Amino acid sequence: MRGENKRSVIVGIFVFLGIAILVAGVMTLGGQQKKFVKSVHLKTVFDDVGGLQAGNNVWFSGVKIGTVRKINFYGDSQVEVEMNVEKSSVDFIRKNSKATISSDGLIGNKIIVLYGGSTDFPAVLDGDRLESVMPLDTDKMMETLQENNKNLVAITTDLKVLTGKIANGEGIVGSVMTDSTLAKNFKSIVVNLDRASSNSLKVINELNSFTAKLNTKGNLFNDLATDTSIAPDLKASMESLKATTANSAELTQKLSEITDKLNSSDNSMGMLLNDPGFAESLRSTMENTDSATYKLSKGLEALEYTWPFNRGFKRKAKAEEKAASDN
Amino acid sequence: MAEEPDDRKPLLSKKIDKFFTGLADAWNFVKRFFQEVLFPPYEFKEVIHQCYRIGVESLPLISLTGFIVGVVFTNQSRPSLSEFGAASWLPSLISIAVVRAMGPLVTALIAAGKVGSSIGAEIGSMKVTEQIDAMEVSATNPFKFLVVTRVLATTFMIPLLVMYTDFVALMGSFLSVNKNEMVSMTTFFVQVFESITFLDITSSLFKSVLFGFTIGIVGCYKGYNSSKGTEGVGRAANAAVVMAMFLIFIEELLVLQIVNAIRGS
Repeated sequence: MRGENKRSVIVGIFVFLGIAILVAGVMTLGGQQKKFVKSVHLKTVFDDVGGLQAGNNVWFSGVKIGTVRKINFYGDSQVEVEMNVEKSSVDFIRKNSKATISSDGLIGNKIIVLYGGSTDFPAVLDGDRLESVMPLDTDKMMETLQENNKNLVAITTDLKVLTGKIANGEGIVGSVMTDSTLAKNFKSIVVNLDRASSNSLKVINELNSFTAKLNTKGNLFNDLATDTSIAPDLKASMESLKATTANSAELTQKLSEITDKLNSSDNSMGMLLNDPGFAESLRSTMENTDSATYKLSKGLEALEYTWPFNRGFKRKAKAEEKAASDN
Repeated sequence: MAEEPDDRKPLLSKKIDKFFTGLADAWNFVKRFFQEVLFPPYEFKEVIHQCYRIGVESLPLISLTGFIVGVVFTNQSRPSLSEFGAASWLPSLISIAVVRAMGPLVTALIAAGKVGSSIGAEIGSMKVTEQIDAMEVSATNPFKFLVVTRVLATTFMIPLLVMYTDFVALMGSFLSVNKNEMVSMTTFFVQVFESITFLDITSSLFKSVLFGFTIGIVGCYKGYNSSKGTEGVGRAANAAVVMAMFLIFIEELLVLQIVNAIRGS
C-alpha cells in the first residue's frame, strides 16, 4: 500500500513537471510572439509581398513590435497585410510612417519594417492604414547586373580589338607606339608643349600680378568694380553727357543751318560774303565814306577857328589845363 | 484450448481474407476500448501503476536519448550551416526539428520499443497462460483492467515524455552551441522560441497523444490476440513493436500533411 502511494506521488510529480514544461514553453512562446500583450491592428497594401507570411515579425527602428496577422488580396492584384502591433509601441508610430518589406538577415525570414514618420502627425490608431514602399526587387537588380555584364563584355571586346590594333602599329596611337620617327616628333612636340606651358605659366603669373594690382583698393578699376557709390555718379555723368551730346547735336544742326544761309546770297550776310557785285558796291561806298570823312575832318578843323565856334573850343582847352594842374 | 481449423472457403485468398479480418478485429478492439473507457468501474490505481511503469520508468532512457539527439543533431547540422555562415541559426533549426518532428518521433519510437513490447509480451503471456480467462471467470473485466488502463497510461504519458524529450534535447543542443558558438542560454532560448509557433506545439502534442494511443492499443491488441504458447508471446511482443513503429510513421506523415494544410491556410 505504501509502495502504491509512493508510485502515485512520483507519477504526480512526473505529470506536474511535464505540464510545467509545457506551460513554461507556451508562456515563453506567447510572450516572445506578443500573443499576450494588448495590440492594435494596422494595415498596409503592397503590390508584391515577396513570400511574406502570417506570423512574420514587424520591426520599428530595429525592434520587434508585432507580427503579421493576416495577408489578403486587395483590389485587382494588390495584397493587404494586417499587422498586430503592441499597444505600447503605437505612440512612436506616426500616421505618416511608411511600411516596407525586408528580411532579418541575408537569408532570413521576411519582415515588415515600419519607419519614418514625423512628430507633426499624430500617432496611429487601431485600424489605420500605413503608406507602403515597395522594397528593392532582387530580380530587377539581377537584370540590371546582367545588362552591366553584357556591357562589360562589349567593352572588353572593343578594348581587345583596340589593343590588338595598337600592338600592330595601326592608327595614330599604334604608330606612336611603334614608329621611332613619330616618337621623336612626338617627343619634340612634348618639349615644345612644355616650353609653351612654362611661358603660359609666366603669362598667368603676370596676369595674376596685374589682377592683384587691379584688386588694390583705391585703384580706379577696383573702385569701379567694388565702390557702389561711384555707380550713381557715373550714371549721372552719363546722363549729363547724353544731354550735352543732344545739345551739341542741336547746336551743330543750327550752325549748319547758319552756314547754309551764309553760303547762300539771299540774305544780307550771305550777300556780304558771297555776292561780288555787292562787295564791289560796298568797297565803293567805303571809299566814298572815307573820302567824305576826310573832307568832314577838314571842315571841322576849319570850323574850330571860325566864329562863334572858336570860343567854345578855347573854354574846353582851358578846363583841361586846369584839371591837369589840379592833379 | 487448441484453435479449430477453419474449413470455410476463402473470399479472395487466405492471406487477403486474413488481412481484412485482422483489420476488422483491430477496429472492433478499438471500438471496445472507447466503449469500456467511458463507463465505470474505473481502474484508477491500475492506471497510476501503468503511468508509473510507462512514464516514470521510461524517463531515464527517454531523457538520455533526447539529450543525445540534441547534441548529435546540433553537431551534425553545424558544418552545413557554417558553410553558409549561418551557424547562428542552429538554435532555430534545432528547435524546429525537435519540436515539430524529432521529439515526438524519437520518444514514440523508444516507447514503442520499450513499452509496446512490454505490454505485448505481458498481455500475451497472460493470454497464453489463460490468466485473462481466469479474470473473466472471477467477474473482473480483463479488457478494462488490462487494456483500458495501459492504453490510457500510454496516451497520457507519451505527451509528457515528449515534453521532457524536447526540453532535454534542447538543453543538449544548448550545451553544444554554448561550447562552440559561445551563445548564452537566454539568446539560445530566444532564438528557439523565435522559430516555433503555437501550431508547432499543438501539433506536437496532438501527435504524441496519437502515438501514445497507438503504442498502447497495438501492444494490447497484439498481446490480447496472441496464441501458440510462449512462441506466440514472443511474436506478440515483436509484432507490437513493429506494427506500432510502422503506424507511428504513417501517422507522422498524415499529421504533417494536415498541419501543413493548416499552416498554409
